[in-house]
Amino acid sequence: MAILSIEHSDRLFWLGRYCERVYTTIKEFAIRFDSMIELKDEDYNEYCIEQDIPNIYTSKEDFIKRYCFDETDTNSIFSNLIRAYDNAVVLREEIGSETLAYVQLAVYAMNKAKTSEAPLVYLQKVVDNIVAFWGMADDDIDSECVRSMLKLGKRVERIDLYARMKMEKAELQREMKRLSKRINRTGIRYSTMKLAHLNYIMEMDEIPTDLVVEEIESLFDVRVNEDVVGL
Amino acid sequence: MKEEELYRYSDTVNELLARYGVKFGIYKNGIFKEQLFPFDMIPRKIGKDEFNYLEKGLKQRVMALNEFIKDIYGDKKIIRDKVVPEEFVYMGSGYLAQCEGVTPPNGIYTHISGIDLVQAKDGEWYILEDNLRIPSGASYPMIARDICRRSSPATFKNNSICDNRNYAKLLRKTMDYVNAGGHTVILSPGRYNAAYFEHSYLAEQTGAHLVTGNEIVVENDNLYFIDYSGRKERVGAVYRRISDEYLDPMNFNPESVIGIPHIYDIYRKGNVALINAPGNGVADDKGIYYFVPKMIKYYLDEEPILNNAPTYLPFYEKDMEYVLEHFDDLVLKDVAEAGGYGVVFGNSMTKDEKEKFIGMLKAEPRRFIAQEVIDFLDIDICDEGKVVPRKADLRAFVLMADEPMVWRSGLTRFSRNPDSFIVNSSQGGGFKDTWVLEE
Repeated sequence: MAILSIEHSDRLFWLGRYCERVYTTIKEFAIRFDSMIELKDEDYNEYCIEQDIPNIYTSKEDFIKRYCFDETDTNSIFSNLIRAYDNAVVLREEIGSETLAYVQLAVYAMNKAKTSEAPLVYLQKVVDNIVAFWGMADDDIDSECVRSMLKLGKRVERIDLYARMKMEKAELQREMKRLSKRINRTGIRYSTMKLAHLNYIMEMDEIPTDLVVEEIESLFDVRVNEDVVGL
Repeated sequence: MKEEELYRYSDTVNELLARYGVKFGIYKNGIFKEQLFPFDMIPRKIGKDEFNYLEKGLKQRVMALNEFIKDIYGDKKIIRDKVVPEEFVYMGSGYLAQCEGVTPPNGIYTHISGIDLVQAKDGEWYILEDNLRIPSGASYPMIARDICRRSSPATFKNNSICDNRNYAKLLRKTMDYVNAGGHTVILSPGRYNAAYFEHSYLAEQTGAHLVTGNEIVVENDNLYFIDYSGRKERVGAVYRRISDEYLDPMNFNPESVIGIPHIYDIYRKGNVALINAPGNGVADDKGIYYFVPKMIKYYLDEEPILNNAPTYLPFYEKDMEYVLEHFDDLVLKDVAEAGGYGVVFGNSMTKDEKEKFIGMLKAEPRRFIAQEVIDFLDIDICDEGKVVPRKADLRAFVLMADEPMVWRSGLTRFSRNPDSFIVNSSQGGGFKDTWVLEE
């Protein structure tokens, strides 16, 4: 029977979150990059606001270079990928070498993108590897608990990002449904109150996205005597 | 078809090694870096009869070493009979007084031994050193073989080579044989250890759980793994990849933050197996190496099958005289060092360095051994497309369950520097597969 420590369950969750963050931010960045090819203004500022990251960039070119590839910038896509790798590399036993390999390959592709004149081509390879990572995880990981822990991270991150980016209501509702189905398969402790509240606000005519971010980020903060679900 | 067929796939193999993160960690100026372990496609080949001879000698040696450790922490007959001087036992850093009177499960101390050998130009094999604490390296030829087979199946169809991918089975058998009841875990110091790839790969391949010190705990005289829901699962065997001194802060180094408090207490009671046994360092000290042939005769009443490299102990007056007389022809090793460090060649020193070294040698004769420089058989490596000869050694792995088992492969390490005898990965060496032929 698979046994999983607190540390490894935490790492699985964060591996899922960081992989999703890299995946979604590259997709969003690709759209921005395309629109910035001809433009000279600071189109990236709006993106920084949406992503809730400080605009520390000095120009469009600086934004493209540092936001994507600066490993020392904690908000960059590359640093998020490194964090995904840091979690994955200690989970070989749980996720297997084949699944882990796709995170490693994503890092190699990111390094190539960093020095490329057409970074979107290699960033697409990063995305391909992240997609393959999820496919391999589904196919190769026996333990439902391990798979669910990874996917829980993915769902939480996606709701968080979609809310920040003020995505369509239907998109947020779809992700919320997926999260609600997944969360009980993990056995992880969470606040039922907050989950119910999240489900409630997702049904509002206009979803208060700031509140969604706040609630999703504190879903696992469980107070004493609070009604919780989990083993 | 010859093995040359395989060389064509060099890029594919290296690409796959990178894909699976076959790396080792290294600290440079205090910063941790992961590096790919350079792999050379040209395999080292050992014939069936030759390996059978090595196998016999390796089993004999490891059985004698296991008896020696049992004796030292038990009756001490070998000291009383003056076969090994007590100074060499008690002054070595590997001797642990805490191990006195403790017998591990099934009397096995040397569960996994890494025995380093070299082959001289005349074909004779010599033992260079015994590694009985935490020998590493088996994972690299394991995964390299797997990748080479994938890259060039024809090579393996057309050459009769023993399959080396059973190492995980041998290791699992070794761990299960001594398991005191419960799960088996591999205890790693963590991600920033030089051999972390190996720890995680062996965990995956054996089905053991990879843990760090904060994931297991001693309670009520047993060792438990605590899962994320708080459930406790008993652990019966720990393949620990952390050194003795850091294993248990209550019994060894009190400053250790990576060990498990009281694990040694429950080991002493037989409630958990520690693989390898603490205290093994008493037998793989470079000074004790000199006495291994004598141990074989003493414990097994057999002639040693494998030879040591000709070794001198400056501790003995006669040997000191020889060392001073033939200083330039010898290699001198600090018994406290490992990983290729603390090794100096007499003929490479300046006059001042030599004088300084001889001063140290006279002041601390127990600290050094001297060996004749063996004229290693060079083996071919492929360096930027050219085949060139380089120095290499072989780390053979012997695992002990109900009987000793020799893995029919090994880690062949080579020096990439044409003028160097040092093959350690930490000093830039590479590795290659070791083919034991079936014919």
